[in-house]
Amino acid sequence: MELRINRETYSVQSEGDTPLLWVIRDELGLTGTKYGCGIAQCGACSVLVDGVVTRSCVTPVDSVEGSEITTIEAIEADETGRRVVEAWVAHQVPQCGYCQSGQVMAATALLRESPNPSEEEIAAVMVNLCRCGTYNAIKAAMADLADGGERG
Amino acid sequence: MKKRFAIPAVVLLAAVAGGVWLAKHHPASPFEAAEKSAAAPDLVARGEYVARASDCVACHSLPDGAPFSGGLEMATPMGSIFATNITPDPETGIGAYSLADFDRAVRSGVTPDGRRLYPAMPYPSYAKLTDEDVRALYTYFMEAVEPANHPNRPSGIDWPMDQRWPLAFWNMMFTEGGVYEASTSEDALWNRGAYLVQSAGHCGSCHTPRGPAMEERALDESSPLYLSGALLDGWYAPSLRNDPNTGIGRWSEADVVAFLKEGRNAHAVVFGSMADAFNNSTQFLTDEDLRAIAHYLKSLPGDPERDGSPWEYDPASAAALAPARRAEVPGAQTYATKCAYCHGADGRGRAPWIPPLAGAVSALAPEDASAINVTLNGSARVVAGGVPDAYRMPPFRAQLSDREIADVLSFIRSAWGNSGGAVAPEAVAELRGPTDPASSQVIVLQMR
Repeated sequence: MELRINRETYSVQSEGDTPLLWVIRDELGLTGTKYGCGIAQCGACSVLVDGVVTRSCVTPVDSVEGSEITTIEAIEADETGRRVVEAWVAHQVPQCGYCQSGQVMAATALLRESPNPSEEEIAAVMVNLCRCGTYNAIKAAMADLADGGERG
Repeated sequence: MKKRFAIPAVVLLAAVAGGVWLAKHHPASPFEAAEKSAAAPDLVARGEYVARASDCVACHSLPDGAPFSGGLEMATPMGSIFATNITPDPETGIGAYSLADFDRAVRSGVTPDGRRLYPAMPYPSYAKLTDEDVRALYTYFMEAVEPANHPNRPSGIDWPMDQRWPLAFWNMMFTEGGVYEASTSEDALWNRGAYLVQSAGHCGSCHTPRGPAMEERALDESSPLYLSGALLDGWYAPSLRNDPNTGIGRWSEADVVAFLKEGRNAHAVVFGSMADAFNNSTQFLTDEDLRAIAHYLKSLPGDPERDGSPWEYDPASAAALAPARRAEVPGAQTYATKCAYCHGADGRGRAPWIPPLAGAVSALAPEDASAINVTLNGSARVVAGGVPDAYRMPPFRAQLSDREIADVLSFIRSAWGNSGGAVAPEAVAELRGPTDPASSQVIVLQMR
């Protein structure tokens, strides 16, 4: 099976029901995406599949064949992703950092869909868990990004 | 004056005598005169296959106990009963049973000492087993099952309900007796399927509605109620007839085979009590037998009056999941953050690994027990061919309140063309306690 990840084509050997996360990390060695809960509840494993934030721990790899997958390794190649990372650095969001690649993915997906999200939209979408409790810093970074978006 | 009572008295006396005879009657077995002889190895293999098809192990074992050594608690309205030790241990099991004794227990529900078994033991179904299959089953248990010394637990049913002789009358009223008789108007595949479904498979024990005396309201396809879906064990066992909404009307025969062989297909993944039946029984049947079962089930007509108008996918509900709109629709935010990553914003899941909710029986059936139960407690591990599943429904009982579960299920049961309807928080509360796996009071197993 062939996968498109970060604009490159990879040939993978895993079985069709293997979680995408295992393929990304174990087979392809892209370890920026993290394993958290394994049941789609925490968001640490988030990647973008055709621009949609997707929890790779519950995504059978055969369901994303032919899709364009983006992981944290390539997020700065995306204009919105680059802005998110800059805001994350400016606000010194990460503490241990384990959940942050997933947080950045969720933020990027929201801003690409809705450049000036309301507080309600941000609250509805930014639901990834963080054991360090960086929620306030994430909220502040998101507020900056929402204001700085190009207004249409 | 005296004479006027004489005739009724004689009739009454005869009726009482007849009743006592029936209650104490030891049913006949074709194996009365059978001699014990060394078993041919293929008879043991056949018996093991019949035991698999009958799923004896599901009730006659505990997860951490020796196979077939009994002990599983089953709640009845009168108190708990416990599955018995059916290993060939002579003291606590069935080691002293002759073939005729074994036959009477399996097909007539009577023990060697004349006690009537509770019909939690599906002998009304097993009554249809052929003599050859009963002989093979007996041989397997005697020759190939490891004896385990594990005393049976007495039932928790108090006097007078613990009296077993009235079951003789229950049997007279609600069992048909007699080995499965092939229908001459149907082909061999259909008849094999009918035999497996009605006898060993005892599918009707869960999937056929029960009457006021807990009797299955039909034991074969002559009634439209047969396998038409039933509520028990805190689950809704769907219709196995051609009902597009609550049954397998949208499934092909190949879909049925895949479900029983792999535990999954494009429409559904086994969960609830069916996970046990799949893990222990259906996946071990031959492809030919599974094709026969599928062929037979797909011959059972649906009932549009009971089932309603057939489900059609409706994409409109996706709009409610847009981040800006989620707060307006109860359950939408919970769905988007807890459910959609697996089951999809479009409700289509990732078949066959993760089942769709769009068009799922649990989202279309008026009975909401399965939807609630699987949300509270998650799905059981599905082990196909020795390999555990990669994806499993997690339990949400600690994460979500009764109201949140009711809201999200109401959302699911009205989205994507689903018509199951709203779920009340009270219905969630009602199942939360009795299905709590952490409770020592858990009574999940009702008669099956």
